Amino acid sequence: MRYKSFRKALALPFTLFLILFILVPILFIVYYAFTDSNGYFTLDAFKSFFTSTVKLNVLLISLLIGILNTVICLLIAFPLSYLLANPKINKNYMLVMLFVMPMWINFVLRTGALRDLLSVVLGWMGTTTGEHPLLCTMIGMVLNYLPFTVLPLYSTMLKLDHSQIEAAQDLGCNPFRTFTRSIIPQAMPGIVSAAMMVFMPTISSYVISDTLSEGKIMLFGNSIYLSFSNSDWNGGSFMSLLMLIIIFLVMLATRKFQGDGGERRSSSW
Amino acid sequence: MEQLQGKSESSFIIEMKNVTKIFDGTTVIDKMNLNIRKGEFVTILGPSGCGKSTTLRMIAGFEIPTSGDILLNGKDITTIPPYRRPVNTVFQHYALFPNLDVYDNVAFGLRNKKIPMPLKDKEGHPVMKVDKAKAKDLKSQIRRIRHDKIIDKEEKEKRLKELQARLQEVLQTPVQAYKFRHLTEQEIDEKVVHALSVVDLDELEDRDISTLSGGQQQRVAIARAITCEPLILLLDEPLGALDLKMRKDMQLELKEMHKRLGITFIYVTHDQEEALTMSDTIIVMNDGVIQQIGTPEEIYNEPQNAFVADFIGSSNIYNATVIAPRKVRFLNHAYDCLDDFPVNERVDVIVRPEDVHLSDFPKENYIQGRIAAKVFKGIHYQYVIMIGHDELLAQSIKDFDQDKPIYLDIRPAGIHLMKRANDLNVYTDSYIGKDHRVYIDDAPFDCDLSCLFASSSVDEDGIVTYDKKRYDFANADVIATIDPRALQISDDTSEANITGEVITAVYKGDHYLILVRTENEEDFFVATPYTFNPGDIVGLTVRKEDIKMKLKGEIEDYEI
Amino acid sequence: MVRKILSYCYIYVILLLLYLPVLYLIVYSFTAAELAGQWQGFSLQLYADLFRDAEIMTALGNTLILAAISALVSTVIGTLGAIGVYYCRKGFRSLVENINQIPVVNAEIVLAMSLTVMFVFLGQNFFGGESLFSFWTLLAGHCVLAIPFVYLNVKPKLQQMDPALFEAAMDLGCSPTKAIHKVVVPQIVPGILSGLLLSFTLSLDDFIVTAFTRGPGLLSGQAQIETLSTLVQAKIKKGAVPPEMRALTTLIFLIVLVIVIVYSIKVNAKNRDTLGKHAKRRATK
Repeated sequence: MRYKSFRKALALPFTLFLILFILVPILFIVYYAFTDSNGYFTLDAFKSFFTSTVKLNVLLISLLIGILNTVICLLIAFPLSYLLANPKINKNYMLVMLFVMPMWINFVLRTGALRDLLSVVLGWMGTTTGEHPLLCTMIGMVLNYLPFTVLPLYSTMLKLDHSQIEAAQDLGCNPFRTFTRSIIPQAMPGIVSAAMMVFMPTISSYVISDTLSEGKIMLFGNSIYLSFSNSDWNGGSFMSLLMLIIIFLVMLATRKFQGDGGERRSSSW
Repeated sequence: MEQLQGKSESSFIIEMKNVTKIFDGTTVIDKMNLNIRKGEFVTILGPSGCGKSTTLRMIAGFEIPTSGDILLNGKDITTIPPYRRPVNTVFQHYALFPNLDVYDNVAFGLRNKKIPMPLKDKEGHPVMKVDKAKAKDLKSQIRRIRHDKIIDKEEKEKRLKELQARLQEVLQTPVQAYKFRHLTEQEIDEKVVHALSVVDLDELEDRDISTLSGGQQQRVAIARAITCEPLILLLDEPLGALDLKMRKDMQLELKEMHKRLGITFIYVTHDQEEALTMSDTIIVMNDGVIQQIGTPEEIYNEPQNAFVADFIGSSNIYNATVIAPRKVRFLNHAYDCLDDFPVNERVDVIVRPEDVHLSDFPKENYIQGRIAAKVFKGIHYQYVIMIGHDELLAQSIKDFDQDKPIYLDIRPAGIHLMKRANDLNVYTDSYIGKDHRVYIDDAPFDCDLSCLFASSSVDEDGIVTYDKKRYDFANADVIATIDPRALQISDDTSEANITGEVITAVYKGDHYLILVRTENEEDFFVATPYTFNPGDIVGLTVRKEDIKMKLKGEIEDYEI
Repeated sequence: MVRKILSYCYIYVILLLLYLPVLYLIVYSFTAAELAGQWQGFSLQLYADLFRDAEIMTALGNTLILAAISALVSTVIGTLGAIGVYYCRKGFRSLVENINQIPVVNAEIVLAMSLTVMFVFLGQNFFGGESLFSFWTLLAGHCVLAIPFVYLNVKPKLQQMDPALFEAAMDLGCSPTKAIHKVVVPQIVPGILSGLLLSFTLSLDDFIVTAFTRGPGLLSGQAQIETLSTLVQAKIKKGAVPPEMRALTTLIFLIVLVIVIVYSIKVNAKNRDTLGKHAKRRATK
């Protein structure tokens, strides 16, 4: 065999895998989203989703919690990453790793631990987790997604052009203007990818909201999981498709800010 | 078998026969025929993108020709993979293995090498088996020729039959079988040490590749390629990454190495000076076609066309006409020359700057010019002399004053006549569109249809009236001709009739002759006073009265 | 100075909050109480119980086996894929990379759902109504998570490689297979290793895809494959984190901590090295 075809043939299992287990399943989602249980074409799933106030509420709440979580995580992580990347404050890589480390402890276990801890703390205050589902869910979300926010922000902060910041100060910018005119624009790619890392998993998360709100807050992820448990493939597929479209739109909207999507996660190594 | 051995006595180590290589529809090598003699230092010279590297890669086995054969010592190796060819390459950026040290890099090829040993049975008789490897090679040859769409059918059938017959023969005649062994570490060590001493790197065996300088890496690359004792060493612009001084030293050293090793070197470069210094034979290539093959002296003194003359050294090139036997007129003056061309033939004339004789006072037969610029070049001065509108480059050891009249002469021995490249643009497969414009290379051009027939006229709807009859030429096939001087060339492609890429640009005294190639591989020659560089994307426009056309079919077919 | 102290306070307070839940379990892993929050004196009883708890040990075993196999399979497919695609045309390459990007940006639950409906459909229509869900569907699910990341880790290493190396190896007598393993693979080993590690941890941590695509098999025998994530999830749905799991948390924490410390020391040394080199270069100038 010619060596050039041999080299290309190495990609065959990979390409087949991508087609069989990534592309084709998505086609199945589309198929199930627009058929009924007998396999006939129908818009039932579409209609029942958009006519059900419960499901629309789920979508709305998911989006709100997603945005809220993204904003909180960014607000906490932005100064944090700035400090961690500042050589005057931190030269030790271990401190950065410590912020990332929770990612490698089983997250279901961490969520359970948080629930137990919160019920004790709230118990001292004379209340229970069940009475504050939103608060508990938000705490869980922030704690879980903070490491994912720190990582991309930290790597952009390392690349900040300090001479540009100094130039801004030199040209008479006060600290606030320096921040908005120089630091924020420079860190924009990091901010966007951090936001992506939080927003989309948040609206589709299942374990955190299910555990911490004791089932009282339904997110999009919970809805899909529920239809899976009830073997409602058509409804679940439609919601998955909707989720896919939302993700696609968000990706499209933030495209110009995005670097290579994979670098965010692989840069942890 | 006998036939093969007979052939291998040919004095050519490499023969390329009718080799064509097409990449994605672009012809990179066009029907190339090339023979390389054993033991020579051959340089393939040409501008980037001329196909020289592709030629080398086909000899190395990295590319398989779309059509044609490559023979090594008379044996067809066209489809033999690179790892089974007795040919080694020094790569442009060395391609040393960074995970291995100097020693292991040089030993790499030896460790893959297998020595055949005749297989014998217990009684000591040779074991006979069918040569499966050979059968496989023949099969891949058969496959290649079957897929060849360029050679004609008869030839294809004949060769396929021949190969099938040979395949049957190989499959039916058992031959001496071999077993293979690797070289021992001791044998490897001897060869590595020898190769390293050839390139003067004995001391650096254990060094990491990344700690070596560019020159040292270069040497390792050469040592690595010669340890396997190849029949041919291929060098793909190996000195390109070195600085000037290093390059000069390495040139001499390579030449020396070639003498000592006694193997064939095929060297690819775009540097004409490098080619002239080192080679026994130079092959000048342009645009996938061999322009000239010859010794450095022949290439320099007797360039066969304007491209070679322009590419090798600096020279003056003019359009000229032969006015009498061995007499040619250019620079508004008639000169005697040595080349014999038919009278009235339009030719290119080449004059090397050192062949121009200068004088600061009038002499018989000397023509007058004016020194427009002057540069001191160490041992001589270089002058740019204006003669009317023409520029002439000249050299002299004498110091003449700038902006003063100068008198010059060119002797017959300094005048080289060359057949003019066909620079009239002729398009035989053009046609008139429904919109009554002419389509050349599928691009529409406004045209004057009345030029098809003398004293005809054309109305607003594109209907031609000739001899009181009316004709509609929509869809008529025509031959369109455009004079290179009529084509306007510009960087601005938005308003152009057609766009293309500049392939070559040759300076002809007062203008450039530029070859522009469109996406569909149609060529346009353009004469222009402005400079364009190969690779530029340019737009061409032409006034409608400058397109000359001739109808291909009968005029009656278009009468209405 | 004050600013520096404030900065440190900020960093460490957040760090503490981040680890509080885990530390809470760790502290109460050293007492034998049924519920965390009740201190009944120091004891290592829970650690002994942990290793005797068949349910947890089965889940742990399943998790590790699954992670190891899926990491290995993903690394092989992803690495070969990256090499192959690297040598393909640009158009094909960008097409493949776009598909490869889908699982990276997509919500896990959508991936899980899409695989599930496919397996359901195939089972109903092509396997006579039999359920396809088994170890193999689970493996496929975990590979979907991991392969794209292996590809993304190997690709940059290939781009840093001299593209002529493969040809140089063949020129020196290597067959294409040999050229790949003797020349190309050594160049991209760092990428392969980080891909392997990443696939392993992605598999360890996964809940959603596991819950959707699992079937009977592995150490669970005829029952649904239980991994650590699914087991813990089932337990905490009913009540508090089981006491033995507190001991498990401590062990996981310690293992990860050791890895993090070793890795950080290496990175710190490397950073200091490059800084030192810069300083030296500047000094010689």
